[in-house]
Amino acid sequence: MKTSLKYKIIAIISIVAFLAIWYLITDGLKLFSASTFPSPVKVLQAFIKKFYVKIPDGGTLITHLIASLQVVLYGYILGVVIGVPLGILMGWYRKVDLIVKPLFDLIRPIPPVGWIPIMILWLGIGINAKAMVIFVSAVTPCIINSYTGIKQTNQVHVWVAQTFGASNKKTLFKVGLPSALPMIFIGLKVSLGASWMAVVAAEMLASTKGLGYMIQMNRMVGRADNIIVGMIAIGLVGALLTFILERLEKRFVRGRH
Amino acid sequence: MIMRTRTFQGSKTESLIYAILSICALIIIWAVLVNFTAMKKIMPNPFTVFNMFFISFVKSIGTHVLPVQILFSLKRVFVGYLLACVIGIPLGLLMGCSKLGNAIIRPIFELIRPIPGLAWIPLAILWFGIDEAPKYFIICISASVSIILNTYSGAREVDDTLLGAAKMLGARSFKLFLNVTLPASVPQIFAGLQVGLSSSWMAVIAAEMIRSSEGSGWVIITGMENGDTVQIIVGMISIGLVGLLLAQMLRAIERRLCSWNVQGR
Repeated sequence: MKTSLKYKIIAIISIVAFLAIWYLITDGLKLFSASTFPSPVKVLQAFIKKFYVKIPDGGTLITHLIASLQVVLYGYILGVVIGVPLGILMGWYRKVDLIVKPLFDLIRPIPPVGWIPIMILWLGIGINAKAMVIFVSAVTPCIINSYTGIKQTNQVHVWVAQTFGASNKKTLFKVGLPSALPMIFIGLKVSLGASWMAVVAAEMLASTKGLGYMIQMNRMVGRADNIIVGMIAIGLVGALLTFILERLEKRFVRGRH
Repeated sequence: MIMRTRTFQGSKTESLIYAILSICALIIIWAVLVNFTAMKKIMPNPFTVFNMFFISFVKSIGTHVLPVQILFSLKRVFVGYLLACVIGIPLGLLMGCSKLGNAIIRPIFELIRPIPGLAWIPLAILWFGIDEAPKYFIICISASVSIILNTYSGAREVDDTLLGAAKMLGARSFKLFLNVTLPASVPQIFAGLQVGLSSSWMAVIAAEMIRSSEGSGWVIITGMENGDTVQIIVGMISIGLVGLLLAQMLRAIERRLCSWNVQGR
């Protein structure tokens, strides 16, 4: 008990030291100019200011945040709705596996951000192109994890279900799905992280709003304080989204773990 | 208990036949769509793409041929990734082995971790200019998170029985680390290296799309700017192939270095 308290204090000291060193090399000793590396105080000021000031990127933090979230949810939900059932079907039905797996393996190695140019060319720079990029990044982990989850179904449980006369479909719903659920949730979490990263990249390349656009615009005008504000917002929201999914996981995934 | 997974005993030739059939079907559907429907305007013919893919080995895209463009990207990945390994593995081990190290590093790491590697691009360009340095930095950041995380959990979750046995036989702290903790965490480290490599490949593509004058990411983004779908798809194919190759290479190294673990799986 005492030692754990000691390490907690060390952890707090470590963060304080981190901020102190950051302050010292920026505002303290003025080793860097404020436009390339602002002090934590300036970042905090910029963070508060960004809630109501639209300069220089044409939006407040909230408007950019909502724009990014909108795109992510659109693409992510599409990815989950298509990816999870497809993965399950591939894992359960052999014919689907044999036909879909080769096509999936063909597309899978292309990193999601590699889809950005062609999506923009096809769909323009509106919400659809970005949502499709998010869809591509979300769908892959969903498929892989649901597929693996179903494949790991304990054969003994399947036999038990069959012995009691369950049809193939019923076995899938009563045995396969529940036992694959933890893996499916891992897929959902990985997908969300990938989507959040992809939206930042997509918005940096072609957008007129969103957090990625905000940090890219502020680079062009040399406002490092706003870039760091944007990065903090991206990090915070990413952590928050993961937290929400973890809560959902605790509610829905019972037993096993 | 028998833990048999739902693997079917279907022969390999059968899955190969299906693979060939479904890929052929894809190409035929693609060809039919672009030849007979309005898709013609936005999609090139598959054969044009394959043709162009091979032509681009001798005919340059921009200022270099395709393999050279890929080499530019690979060089960046190599430097950034190596940097990430050199920084990430020791940091992860330190966090996993020493409670003090964990208490000091972990909070700062947890502060930085939720920020995706790609979100560092603007700041990196502002700090390091537009040369190679920002790209190395972005690749390093993107790769190091998963390397640190996996090394940390590998070092932390070393079997207590092993540690206890080594201690009982008189191993001191450094020897304990070198002979027990380090080898036991190698499989986890490799898992981190694998994820890290694929994120650095993604990071280099993103970084090159945003700011560069050569490389695979540059190939697809200029394809977009010129409205040249053939060039984009050729670029995407090469990016996918190289990504696959990198992963396979690392897997081969892993099989060499920890064959004891692979066989046990």
